[in-house]
Amino acid sequence: MSKPLIQTLALSLALGVPAAVLGILVSPVIGLSVFCAVLALQLIGFLRNFSRLEAWTRNPLPETTPEGGGIWDEVFSRLHRHEKELRVAIARRDFDLQQVAAAGQAMVDGIVTLDADSRISWCNRVAEQQLGLDLRSDRFQPIANLVRQPAFINYLATGDFSKPLRLSSMRGDERVLSLFVLPYSGQERLLQIQDVTQSERLDQTRRDFVANVSHELRTPLTILSGFLETVRELELDPVDQEHYFDLMAEQSVRMSRIVQDLLALSTLESAPPPSGGERVHMTPLLEKLHRDAQALSAGRHSISLEMDTGDLFGAESELASAFGNLISNAVRYTPPGGEIVIAWKRQGSSAEFSVTDNGIGIDAKHIPRLTERFYRADTGRSRETGGTGLGLAIVKHALSRHQARLEITSTPGEGSRFSTVFPPTRVAA
Amino acid sequence: MNENTHLSKQFDDDLTGLRTHVLEMGGLVEAQIRAAIDAYATGDTTVVKDIVENDHRVNGFEKIIDDETIHVVAKRQPTASDLRLVMGITKIVTDLERIGDEAKKIAKGARRVHEHGQLTLPRATDVRHIADEAVVMLRQALDCFARLDSVKATEVIHADAKVDVEFKALVRQLITYMMEDPRTITTAIDIVWICRSVERIGDHAKNIAEHVVYIAEGRDIRHTGKEA
Repeated sequence: MSKPLIQTLALSLALGVPAAVLGILVSPVIGLSVFCAVLALQLIGFLRNFSRLEAWTRNPLPETTPEGGGIWDEVFSRLHRHEKELRVAIARRDFDLQQVAAAGQAMVDGIVTLDADSRISWCNRVAEQQLGLDLRSDRFQPIANLVRQPAFINYLATGDFSKPLRLSSMRGDERVLSLFVLPYSGQERLLQIQDVTQSERLDQTRRDFVANVSHELRTPLTILSGFLETVRELELDPVDQEHYFDLMAEQSVRMSRIVQDLLALSTLESAPPPSGGERVHMTPLLEKLHRDAQALSAGRHSISLEMDTGDLFGAESELASAFGNLISNAVRYTPPGGEIVIAWKRQGSSAEFSVTDNGIGIDAKHIPRLTERFYRADTGRSRETGGTGLGLAIVKHALSRHQARLEITSTPGEGSRFSTVFPPTRVAA
Repeated sequence: MNENTHLSKQFDDDLTGLRTHVLEMGGLVEAQIRAAIDAYATGDTTVVKDIVENDHRVNGFEKIIDDETIHVVAKRQPTASDLRLVMGITKIVTDLERIGDEAKKIAKGARRVHEHGQLTLPRATDVRHIADEAVVMLRQALDCFARLDSVKATEVIHADAKVDVEFKALVRQLITYMMEDPRTITTAIDIVWICRSVERIGDHAKNIAEHVVYIAEGRDIRHTGKEA
């Protein structure tokens, strides 16, 4: 028995002693009634404390714990302490939970936790967006009710999660998702969703590139071997033979040009960036490019050159090939009689190089893809004018190595403008 | 006491299972329409066979779900909202099955159009656009059903008008093509049929949304015109 209880009992007994004395000295009735009165007083005290306790338990706050004497004091203070500790523990757990949830929200990937019946128990905002969920309304919904793609339902049903599932989003935004299912703590499962749209696109570009290279090289090769066979097996008169040799030479030149361009591109990609040291004198460079353009045009276009002073720091060969590519494109895609303006203009401390023509122009939908390797806006025309399909890719790389970006504006039928702005660090007065 | 909670949990499980089946069927139908429209837009008609094949699965779902609803009614005698859910499901399943049929028709139409030769008229993008809208309607209607969200369902019902307007515009456009050059008539009519199927999908999605409102609120808003 606890000490306070013994004390209380002892107190009751001690009060019993004067009552017993009274009973012996005066009369037993008075003794008994005094004893009863004392017990009743004690009971009233108990009841009062009990009712305070009862009232407090309806809304137990540490601040309002009742205070009482004797045996009650001990009980009340213990309850007070317990309540306080409980609150601290709950607060700490809440904080931990919030931390975990915040960590989940911070993930770049979508996260959904599923219970044993594949119901959604929690998900982060990324997952909400990726799968079109709304945690407020979709909690405890079977996930298959909302992510209804047959491929996903099969994947969940078969239970073989060794390979991730590739899923194209059904939310109409053409995104490609990669889903992993990871079991944890018994029956629960974690669904991790990665957005792989970008890498999917890169894969596509790479596949296209390989296919394109093979195609671009095969075409001249086929022509070449076809003519070889003809020349070898048929008796031809010298004029025809000469003609065939010309055609063969043309194709081999084209092939070697493609290989050259590919090599140039891969050099641009792998070589360290050009130092800022070498000064490229723009006046002689542009005058040479101007003469080359006139030679290529052979008098069919009027080509003018507008020049401000100012030189560039960078790799001369790369810049020459970038500018030369832009100029020769303008010559090739502008019909005879057209005008081409090559301009080198200072803009404050930076400088702009531009080539403007009034040629056939480019449809807006092609512009973002023009610098892709082997991308052709108009397949037939581009090959017939002798392009390798790599020119603008080289330009883009060469310029970006000089911190410049290629800007293309064009209106079909009215002409195009290719321009690039060099930052002040690259421009010399 | 134990017996009771067990029974009602079993009942709950039955209803949840039923709903999940309906939504699974919906997902399949959604995928079918997408595949059919892709076949039309890209001209890759090799998938048409798969779509026709998969329609059997859609039909199979209809039979299974009908069977399950009958079982639930017979065994549990559902009342109030449970009854509305069960009745609503039988109707939704009918609409879904019809949408599956329309998807099959679109796929077959796409094959006819592309076998016929070059797709010189109506840019595939126009048809694709109206189809995307119908698919979004269906997806939202099914989302509403999963969440029993009658507010969103009302939005879906209103979206149908837009699909109808676009359908009419497309048909008018096709008519001008046919008048200009009678050689395009065969293809144009096939495309009209495809558009018609898309428009029907929109109607069925609207019906599903109406059933959702009925399930959620007990309000029958069919054929009430603008009130809905």
